Amino acid sequence: MTLRLGRHEFPDTATLMMAIVNRTPDSFYDKGATWAEDKAFERVALVAAQGAEIVDIGGIKAAPGVEIGVAEERSRVVDFVARVRESFPDLVISVDTWRAEVGSAVCAAGADLINDAWGGADPELVDAAAEAGAAIVCTHTGGVTPRTRPYRMEYDDVVAAAIADTVAYAERAIAAGVDPASVVVDPAHDFGKNTFHSLEVTRRLGELVATGYPVLVSLSNKDFVGESLDLPVGERLTGTLAATAVCALAGARIYRVHEVVETRHTVDMVDTIAGRRPPKRAIRGLQ
Amino acid sequence: MRVVLVPGVLALLPEYAGLEDPVAELRAACVAAVGWLGADPVVLADPQGERVARALLTQAQAGGAPATGSGGGVVAGAPPARVLVVGNGSARRTEKAPGFLDGRATAFDEALGASLRAGRPEVDARLAAELWASVTGIERMADLGDLGPAQVDYDDDPFGVQYWVLRWQT
Repeated sequence: MTLRLGRHEFPDTATLMMAIVNRTPDSFYDKGATWAEDKAFERVALVAAQGAEIVDIGGIKAAPGVEIGVAEERSRVVDFVARVRESFPDLVISVDTWRAEVGSAVCAAGADLINDAWGGADPELVDAAAEAGAAIVCTHTGGVTPRTRPYRMEYDDVVAAAIADTVAYAERAIAAGVDPASVVVDPAHDFGKNTFHSLEVTRRLGELVATGYPVLVSLSNKDFVGESLDLPVGERLTGTLAATAVCALAGARIYRVHEVVETRHTVDMVDTIAGRRPPKRAIRGLQ
Repeated sequence: MRVVLVPGVLALLPEYAGLEDPVAELRAACVAAVGWLGADPVVLADPQGERVARALLTQAQAGGAPATGSGGGVVAGAPPARVLVVGNGSARRTEKAPGFLDGRATAFDEALGASLRAGRPEVDARLAAELWASVTGIERMADLGDLGPAQVDYDDDPFGVQYWVLRWQT
């Protein structure tokens, strides 16, 4: 099935880079590097030039911290979305929010996709997506409250839980009127999960792919990579790309990333090994 | 009689296609010449060259290249109407070439190229083997007699391998 992300369509064979653009002063990886609007806009221009198909704009960091109300979140993202929409008509604009009110506002400003990292915490978010004709990312968080860390969470089978919850969320979105071609699922590494859970989800990602919904993975520089290798933020790229390769082999479609170029190379290489993509240019031994 | 020579480049085969075609110019010349030749020619080639010939015939048909004449099969005792020859010069022309540099390659290709263009190919089979030249099909051209001057569609060595695309009409 063709993947439809707002005003953009992609064939079944396409893999997509979703570049993270934080309009936050405190996100874990960039620590506010793109907090200023012009810096965030420069980041959009950079990742677009690097070939990212999607930008994922977020106004609130995932980790606990100062509470950001609706008005403040809107002020961080809505006008910025409009500016990106005007300057980059070919770019898919995603907004990382769990709030229906923010979702409606950013879609009106030109967003194509609502990336709900918090598993449907606001039940009206699906209605906002449906009304706007936007796509939605349905994540698995184990039911945690937005912006909380997992604490002693356990699952009988974390993959089964991720499939059950994301598919239920997807069906709820479709029932609300979201185009079935516009529903993406994300097992949400590290969200409601300890490192062992995230590793198991990675190892068994093919089971999520088998649901038939396009799978998004958000692996970039996360704690499960850091804990696996005992490396701090800033030294997790190699581990991130290894996890990326495993997910790519299993058939993930969208990659939410800090490093666009490195991830694109990794995913293209894996797809080429898997026989889903021809080599770019092959002449060795064939002259 | 129409005769075409193309090189046995495996990159011309669909099973070795990449996202970008590394031999686009060569392929265009081959497909045009094979289209001019027409359908169902007699093929003079080694087994790999035979595969290349079949692929080019398919590509020429798919590309809508004009297929002239009808039926090219061999009539007993009569010369064939159409002949597709697969062969090429040395693969040892440069240090980056598949067979590395052999100083004799350039002179060998010049002599072979000149004889081909004149329509009377002369091949030193032992030297050809040492220089990684694929001449099985070219050697069998002797049976076709004097072809006269060739039309040269392609004459280059983009990977240190000498390729020709030539046409004769007698």
